[in-house]
Formats: sequence, structure tokens, C-alpha cells
Amino acid sequence: MKKLITIISLIFSITANSQSTLPNISLNSLDGKEINVQEISSNDKIAVISLWATWCVPCIKELDAISEYYEEWKDEVDFELFAISTDDSRTIKRVNAMVNGKGWEYTILLDSNNKLQRALGASTIPLTLIVKNNKIVYRHSGYSAGVEFELFDKIKELK
Amino acid sequence: MKKILFFISLIISLTTVSQNNENIFGSFESNSQLLQDDSTLNFTSPDDNFRANSYFQLNYNIGNVSTGIQYESYLPSAMLGYYPQYNGGNGIASYFMNIKQNKTDITLGYFYGQFGNGLIFRSWENRQLGINNAIKGVKFKYKFSESFNLTTIYGQQRNGFELNESTIQGVDSNLNLNKFLNFEKTDLTIGASYVGRYQNNSTNDLIPANVKSIGARVNLYSGRFSLNLEGIIKDSDVIANEGIILSDKLYDGTALQLDLGYSKKGLGLNTTFRRLENFNFYSDRLAEGNIYNQQTISYTPALTKQQDYLLTNIYVYSAQPRLVINALENRSGEVGSQTDFYYTFKKDSFFGKYKSKIAVNFSYWAAIESNFNQDQSYDVEFIGDGNRYYRDFNFELKNRWNNKFNTTITMLDVIIDKGVALGGPLGVQGDIKAKVGVIEGTYRYENGKSSRAVIQHLWTKDDKKNWAGLVYEYNFSTSLNVFIADGWNYGGTDKIHYYNIGGSYSKDNIRLSLNYGRQRGGLICVGGVCRYVPENTGLNLNLNVVF
Repeated sequence: MKKLITIISLIFSITANSQSTLPNISLNSLDGKEINVQEISSNDKIAVISLWATWCVPCIKELDAISEYYEEWKDEVDFELFAISTDDSRTIKRVNAMVNGKGWEYTILLDSNNKLQRALGASTIPLTLIVKNNKIVYRHSGYSAGVEFELFDKIKELK
Repeated sequence: MKKILFFISLIISLTTVSQNNENIFGSFESNSQLLQDDSTLNFTSPDDNFRANSYFQLNYNIGNVSTGIQYESYLPSAMLGYYPQYNGGNGIASYFMNIKQNKTDITLGYFYGQFGNGLIFRSWENRQLGINNAIKGVKFKYKFSESFNLTTIYGQQRNGFELNESTIQGVDSNLNLNKFLNFEKTDLTIGASYVGRYQNNSTNDLIPANVKSIGARVNLYSGRFSLNLEGIIKDSDVIANEGIILSDKLYDGTALQLDLGYSKKGLGLNTTFRRLENFNFYSDRLAEGNIYNQQTISYTPALTKQQDYLLTNIYVYSAQPRLVINALENRSGEVGSQTDFYYTFKKDSFFGKYKSKIAVNFSYWAAIESNFNQDQSYDVEFIGDGNRYYRDFNFELKNRWNNKFNTTITMLDVIIDKGVALGGPLGVQGDIKAKVGVIEGTYRYENGKSSRAVIQHLWTKDDKKNWAGLVYEYNFSTSLNVFIADGWNYGGTDKIHYYNIGGSYSKDNIRLSLNYGRQRGGLICVGGVCRYVPENTGLNLNLNVVF
């Protein structure tokens, strides 16, 4: 028990000191281009990262919900949503069909062996982050109806 | 334990003296259960009724060097249905150092990875399934140019907290041909891989010490079309059944997968064909077909649509790539296909005022038709007309009615072989035919409050007969929710209610969920790989903290 307490207190002391930044990981886009996640929010750009998968019902609900307002919101604040698929080879071929079939306008990246998911400590998806200058300024896991509005409020605060 | 504390304090001291361009991050996850006796389920709680799987991961990056360490504990016992090797264990399970410089990317220690579709090689982690088949050794990736890269791996695979004695070697290469062919709107990549296993055969020369598989693939994207083709052949090897080699006879294996896609805005179509003949590759030849999915080198998930509702998850398919020759059954692998179709309607369509979305999926998987001879050899068709293992037709329609309310309707029509669903020999016990209907509605109030309700029904005259299901979830805010759920097997002899009550809290770096209730026995599947969980009753707590 003592050990556990030591570990937990260590975690919290680290949390207090830690910088929450994205790790140095490159992912492929659907057309095979390599993109480093540390570069997507450089120069004050606001990036929203959503870790999802084609089999994850709440993830799809979240991305469907945001897609209803995506154009409108982008007119108001300049930001970009990176929908990062954690699909493995079972379902990865479905990603393109689903993204197009649903008419999503997001930038799609592939985290097919869960490199980024592991580094972000995301035991469950969806995981949604807002990142600016590579600093993670907002983190939310799970989806419930209306989260998308909270997300957009946070984005507006960063403008 | 001392090692961890040392490592942590080292990192903290490094952080305090350090400059910029470095960071430290990690996570702590603990999934625990407290089991209790339940006479209705005939479940007797084991003596060690508190069980927890915990993971502590810490990473430290400076410049182009990243390091990480993972501590795992399965104390006092691993959760029900996990690989027994983990039981009661704890310790530093993996660590790595990675250096990226210009064209090189080198990892020392434990690494994960995948070649092509993963058919030939995939090492990965999934905590829900209890899978971590990382390899300890060296992974080296070199980018000769933007068009050509090569990856080599060498090491031993993790098995619980130990390493398997065999060594795994592999090479993977990718060549993009756009430049050479002057393609502008078309993307063409070819790849080739090799994976080998060396495992001591002690004195039995009839068993090969070296077994290798080689594969090639083509990926083509051109405008709205895509084509991916991958083929693997694997050397002859003995086959093992529940840890025992039945004969010295050797069998080779093959895998073939073809994906075709067409998509444009508002419409997506994808179809996959796959044939697996005796295609299993494990880091220990005796691990073949083990029910815990441990020590795998090849990755052959079920290619069907993964469902997420209470009752759509009862009859799930798992891939059947094995060659089995024994008194009870003879089979050489599986062949089949699945097709997905996605479509978004225009505004004001027949289905609704807002853009309605449909998803349709069809899959069919069967045994490869084979004739088995007296001398334990077999003759095989490319496809033929083998026993059907699984057939699934499903349909999903999503509608938004107004700003506040939306619905999803899901229908499933499934036929599954009893051997696949319930165990025992395949193709001889008959089928289970089931239909499932699900209606889900979500209503959003102000300030992040919302309600979600799901009603569902499963119709079948087979197995445990009909089921009804209900889920209600209330979100107090976007961070906090509670739910009640019940799957009622009212058609079954015991008319059991599989009830659950719980909630979750998620804010910033913390996620906590708690539930109490009955777990239906069966397969828990993630990404087409399934873990069997026995029926049980109890309290479950999941905590995840990232920093």
C-alpha cells in the first residue's frame, strides 16, 4: 500500500510539473503522406485531434455531430480537425469509405498500430484534444451529446 | 519496485535541470473487479475475489531521443478470463529507447510494429484483451529516399513477464513508384516482407528449427478507386493442438487478401476478400491455436463488422485460419468476403429533413473446401463450397430530427455456426440463426445535459432463444454520467436478467468508471480479436490518469 501511495503521489507531483505536449510521432495520411503531429499546431494554429475508429459508436457520433457545424465554425475561428483513426488492419480499409460516405471534411490520419494512442495514454476512445503550438490545452474522453459545443467554446477562447 | 522509483526520480531530476525541447509524460491505468457469488448465474466467486490489472507507463523525450518504461501488475490476481501467466505477477514489463535522426529510426528494447496488413507480422498491445506481444530486441528503419524505406527487426517475443526462447527476424520494404512512373493523381506502392522464427528443435530433426514466411503487396490509390492486394506464403511446419504435436507431418500455409474501394463525397464502398489456409504463425510452435491469443506473430482478425450494442454482440465471429486434422473435425482454413456501403442522403430526403446516413454491411465466411486423405494429407480448392461459418447482413440508419434529438436504427440478420459461437467442432453442430433490432435515441438538453435510451430485441429459435435489452444513460454534464442497462434472456430456461448499473467521470486527465452487475459469458472483442470471459457478477472499477 505504501508503495502505491508513493507512486500516486509521484504521479501527482509530476503532473504538476509536466508539460502536456504531443509526442514526436509521424503518422500517415490516407494518401500516404507522412505528417508529424508536433507540426500540426505550429504558428498559433489551433488543431483539434480526435482519436476514433470505424467500429467505435461514440467516436462516430462525435464526428458526425461536429460535421454538422464544421464549416460554420471554421468560418468563425480558424481551426482544423484531425480525425486520427486507430483502426487496425481489420478495419482500416473501411476508413476511406466511411469518411467519404459520411461526407466528413476532416483531415484523416492513420495510427494503425496505436503509437500515438499509447503515447497519449488513451485507454479508451474517443479522445479529443485541442492543441495549440503543440501544447495540449483541452482533453476529453468519451462522448455525450453536446460535448461538441463545449469543444467549440474552448476553441473560441483560444482565438 | 526500487528500479521504478530510481527511474522516476532520475527523470524528475533531469526535468528540473533541463532546458527546453524535452518532455515527460505517462499514464496510470487500473482495471479492477470485486466478484461475488451469484446463485442465479451458478457463479461461485473464486477465493481471490478482488482482482486488478494495473499499468504504469512513463516516457521521457529529449530532442530526437525518446525513452519509456512500463510497469504492470496483476495483483492479487489477474482479472477473470486473462492469460493465466499474468496471474499474481508484477514488474517492469517493457522499456525502450528510440532515436530518430535524419533517415534512421532505431528502437532498442521492447518494440511494437506491423508489416503490411499485419498478416505476416504484427506486435501490439491491447489491455482489454490482455495482449502484449512486444518484441525485445532491435528495430531499425532506414529511409533511403522519400520513395523507398526498409525496416528490420530482430528479437525475442514477450510471453507474460518472460521472453520466448525463439528468435524472430524480419525485413519489410516499401517502394513508392509514383516518381518512376510519373504519376500525379495516382499513388502506387509495392512492398515485400520476410519474417522468420528460429526455435530449437532439440533432437527431433523432423521438426524444422527455422520457419519463415514471405509476402508481397500492392497498394494503389487512384482518384475514387483503391486496390490493395497482399499475399503471404509460410514454410512447412508441424501443427500443434492444445500444446501437443500430433505428428511429424509438415504443412505449409498461405494467406491472400484483396481490398477494393470506391468512394466520393457522400458515398463509400469497400469490399474485402480473404483466404487463409493453415495460416497461423506463433513465436512458439506449441502455442498454436491457444485461446488467449498469446505469442502470435501473424495477425488474422475476423473481417466482419464490429458491433457495439448489448445484444448485437452475442453472436460474433472469430477468424478460423487453422488447419485441424483429427477424429472430430477436419478443416484447412477459412475463405470469405465482406462489403461495406456508406451513404449520406441529401437534405429533405425520404428519410428525413436533415442529412440521413446509412451504413450497410454484408459478410460471408466459410471453410475452404478440402478433401482429407488417409495419410493425413489433403486436397484443397481455392474457394469451393465448404461449411458456412458465418453470414451477416446488417443495416444502420442515422437520423437527426431537430437540434435536440437524433436516432439510430440498427438491424442485424446473422447466421453463425454453433461450433464458432459456442465451441466444439466446426461445421457439424448446425447453425444459430438470429435477428436483432436496435433503436437508439439521444436527446440533448442545455448545458451539456443529455439522455440516451436504447431498446433492443434479439429473435432466435436456437441456443438461448429470445432476448430483450434496455439501456438508459443520463449525462449530468459532459463529464459525468450514470446508466442502467439490462439484457433479459426471457426466452431462455432461467429467464436471467443481465443487469448493470454504473457511471463514469471524465475530466481533463482523469477518467473513472464504476459499474456493478452481471457479465454475460462470452467473447469480448476488440478489432476482430476476441477474449472469452466467463459469466460473473461483481463490481468493476476502471481508473485512467494521464500526465
